[in-house]
Amino acid sequence: MKKIILIATCFLGFTFLSCRKDATKIDGPSIEELYSSFKMLANFKANKDSVDFASGATVGFSATFNKIVSWKITITGTTSKARKVFSGQSKSIDAASTVWNGTTTYFPLFAAENCIAKLTIDGVMDTFQVPIKIKNTRVINTSLVIADYENGFNPAWVKFVQTGANMDFNIKSDSSKVQGNSYLNMAGTVNWDWLIGLIDYPASAYSTTSNTLNLNANPDAVYFNCLVYGVPNTNMSKVLFQFKEDENADGVFNANNEDEYAFNIDVTWTGWKLVSIKYSDITALVNGQPVTPKGNSIHNPNKIGKISMLHLADKALGAAACKIDFICFTSAPLEL
Amino acid sequence: MKHLQLLVLFLFFVASLQAQQKKTVDFIGGARSYMSNSQLSVQDSLPDTTTLKRNTGGYALIDLGVNIRPNDKTEIMGMFRIRNEYGGFWGAGVSFDVRQLWLKGIIGNVVRYQLGDLNLKQTPFTLHNNRFQLLDSMPSVFQLQQNIISYEKFYTNNTWRQQGANVDMGLSFNKYIQSMDVNAYITRLRATDFNAIPDRLLGGFTIAIKQTARRSFGLHKVSTFDLKGTVLDSNMYSNNVTTVFAQQDVFIKNHLSTFKLELGNSVAKYSHDAFAPVLKDYFIHAHMHVVAPNNKWESTLAYLNVGPDFRSVGAQSMNINFQASTNYYNSYANDKLSRPLSIMDLVRSENIYTTGVTSNLMRPSLAYNAILPYGLATFNRIGAYWKASYNGFKSVGLQATVYKLSEVRGQGTTQLKQFLQAEVQSTFKLHELMSTKKPFLFQAGFRFQNTQRTGRVAVEDVDLKSLALQAGCTYEFAPKLQVIGGLIWFQSKGNDFQADRNVYTTVDYYTNQKMDVAQQMTALGLKCNFSPKSYITALYQSVNYKDKLLVMPDYTMNQFLLIYNMTF
Repeated sequence: MKKIILIATCFLGFTFLSCRKDATKIDGPSIEELYSSFKMLANFKANKDSVDFASGATVGFSATFNKIVSWKITITGTTSKARKVFSGQSKSIDAASTVWNGTTTYFPLFAAENCIAKLTIDGVMDTFQVPIKIKNTRVINTSLVIADYENGFNPAWVKFVQTGANMDFNIKSDSSKVQGNSYLNMAGTVNWDWLIGLIDYPASAYSTTSNTLNLNANPDAVYFNCLVYGVPNTNMSKVLFQFKEDENADGVFNANNEDEYAFNIDVTWTGWKLVSIKYSDITALVNGQPVTPKGNSIHNPNKIGKISMLHLADKALGAAACKIDFICFTSAPLEL
Repeated sequence: MKHLQLLVLFLFFVASLQAQQKKTVDFIGGARSYMSNSQLSVQDSLPDTTTLKRNTGGYALIDLGVNIRPNDKTEIMGMFRIRNEYGGFWGAGVSFDVRQLWLKGIIGNVVRYQLGDLNLKQTPFTLHNNRFQLLDSMPSVFQLQQNIISYEKFYTNNTWRQQGANVDMGLSFNKYIQSMDVNAYITRLRATDFNAIPDRLLGGFTIAIKQTARRSFGLHKVSTFDLKGTVLDSNMYSNNVTTVFAQQDVFIKNHLSTFKLELGNSVAKYSHDAFAPVLKDYFIHAHMHVVAPNNKWESTLAYLNVGPDFRSVGAQSMNINFQASTNYYNSYANDKLSRPLSIMDLVRSENIYTTGVTSNLMRPSLAYNAILPYGLATFNRIGAYWKASYNGFKSVGLQATVYKLSEVRGQGTTQLKQFLQAEVQSTFKLHELMSTKKPFLFQAGFRFQNTQRTGRVAVEDVDLKSLALQAGCTYEFAPKLQVIGGLIWFQSKGNDFQADRNVYTTVDYYTNQKMDVAQQMTALGLKCNFSPKSYITALYQSVNYKDKLLVMPDYTMNQFLLIYNMTF
């Protein structure tokens, strides 16, 4: 009988001990909030109505709702049609977390212009908007601009274009512009070769005293960037950049004993897209496959003697076209 | 063809071994032929002109296992499967697989080990296959289809089939305690992709100490963890569950009473993820089991308390994936809608059943089981349950179960859901009651589930009821020849909030699921038992799925099945 009492006492004891006291806590979001109708508790607003991005100023947005919602802020340039998008899922939008520093989500780049910031909320028909004026666009920090085509064709650049059909390897200034007023158009049909055309950008185009580009020696602190436009309804273009390191600085690149790294871009998209890669992540390629480079096998961005840009397309497919702009080096991934 | 040559060579080797050493090699396995002819009809507002309404097919397979004992301390088992889809010929539709492979033995007459395939089980809170059952007992016409799934998925005695290594040993003592058993295992849950997904392992051990013939206690530990270094990412998941248990048998007025207690805690976390919460919680499961002196009845009364943040990968894996595709008619109606699972799918569709412990928390089905989707290890449950069985009547067996539970922590509200589940199953040996010689078994039962919550505001209210009724009979009208038939009727009606959980298993959103679905499945067939291990059966079965809220189009599915099954 004693045993039974002991066991029963243990049972009751554990039962008592296991009573929980977290009845005020809840799991997950409040159902009352989730299923209530939407209300704007604090209006959507920007913390300034005009901004000078060139001076490092930013714009913040804020709004408060009665429940957690999926929201999206789209800022559109009334002239450039550039767009910047912020999105999230929360009960409020905070001016500290949605900070616009003048960058772009969908190209072209913003100009000094009037913009409209529009707030849309999933499941809510109403939209909310505020105007913002860009007084000056942001300053883009680059280490070296290889080509932005704003001043025409540099005489030191070397161009080769195949004699195919409808060849166009020219600088243009039209409504497709993305950065500045000009870009390079590369198009044509070459049905006997992959190469449509190429441009060599030698170091001599940027310095009269050095055979190599003036870049940081640390390949982890050098980023290569460019803007590439995929033309709708055409065959896929390939843009191949070859970085030829003049390791002995004799002004001549020797393919047999000096490093050549290559970065291939398959243009599978339509519209402008920013492509950015760390120089140390670029490999040597032969027929698209990584191989061991033939020089010292060390990435030396400060020893690049020449950059070759090739526009390629499958000869069996016919015409190919793409556009390119703002080829540059930066010390961090380029933000536009 | 290469596989076939290897098999012939292997069998030749085995036959040679058998010829040389008698009684060291046994052949085991099974064979099955499965033919089906299905027909679907859809009741939509527009006639369904896109779904193919007839589906015919099947397969034949043979499992050939060789059990080799090269010496008295080693045993090796290998089982091959050759499967041929009907319509395949000369290699087309033929698959050749290794179905089982394990090796076991004894080291120094002390430590037993097993490598390869393992059937593992600890407790319902550590490692346990909480097999989904709409009802505790099904009519035999449906049970025989469930048995095929159990064979295919290695479901035996709530074990999980895993691959790894297992050791166990037993020690006897003269003083203080009688014996101590130690068991440990390590298995691989998930293989790395050498990129972002690390190897995930499951390991654990049990130490069970028997102090006297009536008193025992011990410790269980199970860990699920990512293996460092198998990917470059240093963020590793771990889930540790530790439990202690004690058991005491006493006689109370000649009634053998067993008191069992298991309690433990769990920790689930990611090592380097700032967004990942550390989930820690505990559980208590105490129960008293009483057996009548004449064994006419037995009863269990239990207390259950499982914390809302209790996570146990090994115990909270479901053996059914309600989001998986079925064998047939995955989409239907003109809009190619995803066909909702019917009870026929639950009875016979192998594809939706899982083979092993899954590393992620699976999404339960509120319609089929809103109360204990992860078995006793279902988190956020507190309350009691009672089970009883009675064999006092001649030729009649009765079992009853009642669960009365509630939530520990509110889901999206401070108000708690209340749960009630009641189930009664009965079997009748009608031939004994009617004093006839031809065996005639009848069974009937029901399961009722009720989930209720009265919210602070109306939108939080929950009222979900489900009822499953079953009846079936088996009549042996001639030696070895049986008529088998059965009926399951199931309705799920009301609303409940389905929790949408993120990768950390915490809740992101609650979807209010409103349902009013009724289903009826009937089956009738003939079965010929050649021996206790082999039979052939021809069945016709039909399911009718009716959604009264018109969320999904109603449908009816009819099937004719011809199954031959044997094991040897």
